[in-house]
Amino acid sequence: MRKEINKTSKKIERLLELPQEVYSNGPRVVINSFEEVLIENYKGILEYEEFIVKISTYIGIININGYNLNLETMTNDDIKITGKIEGINLERTID
Amino acid sequence: MLFKIMLSYIIGYVRVIVEGYYIERFVNICTNNKIIIWNLKRDKDVNLYLNVGIKDFKKIIKIAKKTKCKISIIKKKGIPFIINKYRKRKFFIFLLILLIILLGVSSNFIWNVEIKEENNNELIGIEQDLKEVGLKSGIAKYKINIKDVINKINLKRNDIAWMGIELKGTNAIVKIVKADEKPEIISDDEYCNIVSDKAGVITKIIAQDGTAQVKEGDTVNKGTILISGWIEGKYTGIRYVHSKGEIQAKVWHTKNKTVNLNQKIKEKTGNVQNSYKIKINNFEINLLKRVSKFKFYDTINEEKRLKIFSDFYLPISIIKTTYEEENYTEKTYTQEEAKKLVIKELEEELENEIEIKENILNKNINLYEKDNQIEIYVTYEVLENIGTKEKIVF
Repeated sequence: MRKEINKTSKKIERLLELPQEVYSNGPRVVINSFEEVLIENYKGILEYEEFIVKISTYIGIININGYNLNLETMTNDDIKITGKIEGINLERTID
Repeated sequence: MLFKIMLSYIIGYVRVIVEGYYIERFVNICTNNKIIIWNLKRDKDVNLYLNVGIKDFKKIIKIAKKTKCKISIIKKKGIPFIINKYRKRKFFIFLLILLIILLGVSSNFIWNVEIKEENNNELIGIEQDLKEVGLKSGIAKYKINIKDVINKINLKRNDIAWMGIELKGTNAIVKIVKADEKPEIISDDEYCNIVSDKAGVITKIIAQDGTAQVKEGDTVNKGTILISGWIEGKYTGIRYVHSKGEIQAKVWHTKNKTVNLNQKIKEKTGNVQNSYKIKINNFEINLLKRVSKFKFYDTINEEKRLKIFSDFYLPISIIKTTYEEENYTEKTYTQEEAKKLVIKELEEELENEIEIKENILNKNINLYEKDNQIEIYVTYEVLENIGTKEKIVF
């Protein structure tokens, strides 16, 4: 049942041509020049060390590896990470 | 969000160090409670540095207790902390406030009256007149009624065509256009004489109306009647008219100058000495009290008014006095050299004076020699139209 509802809602959204950020609760990740990552629509921080930041979102976990990682600004719905970024991994928790 | 952070730089924020094992939890709780924290930095140990606004700091302490973290302040920044720092220095604060009030009060006064004249025509005594009317430095702005001032000045003087006053900051700019002096116009109905306005020898006189009083070759002085405004008839008696006519006369323009053959010539050596004074309204303070060390010198005074921004003049000015050293060298001219120099100078002066150069008839140069001095007279003989109308007063 639920899957069908999801499908129909997706169809309607596609018809309306809404941007994805508006209807989906997935995160939006913006990388600026290897030194800044902006993540919108996140749930919380799982782990924060100098070399790794784990951020949980509604559909999975984002791992950011690098050096000297700082959380520059943290607000309710977006987070900015600066530092020397080496890689970004994604882990799905929902199919 | 960025705006709130910027605001907290003013309102005040603290840099905090958080120590503990559940730092991620601490951060998550903070964000869930809508506390803005920024510039988080993780140390290699268990420390976390972060910035937080003053208002949220109390909340953060509670959260830290919950998550069993230690919390301590490293830095305090913002205006509230600065004020707190200077709370003990009451006199300093008092002076600061006094200064601000003084600045505010003094901005309501006029400290500088600037007179701008169109075409650099100088109006003599306009400053004095402005002072008498009430526009002077040190007067409150609200006391000045611009229309009133302009009206009063216009009543006082009749050589002003237009006048405007602009109050800019503490500066009053007075713009003046000088009126051309107009000759007295005598209407055709009135009776008038033609009177000579220069001394000369008449070469031509044509009386169109009225009777000529002088002949060709007569010498006239300033003020002699050339064409009189009455006609004597044998039968009609004296009849008054508005005289008209054309009079041409030879007029002499003379300039003279005495020259010393031995002259002292000033030369600047380039050595300069400065001294400064501070002038507050009319009270002067000498900063350097000493007389110039030079033997011969030229003094140049320069006054500079202090101003904040472009228009805000303060009643304080700095006077800079420069002493420029001079040397006198004696030079003896030969007679020829001196003559040439002076004659050229005088000729230039005269030629500026004469309007139509074709009418120059003759040049005369006279020399009178005394011991070491030459007196030189240069005379130009010029044909000119002379004569102005003068009303006949009965």
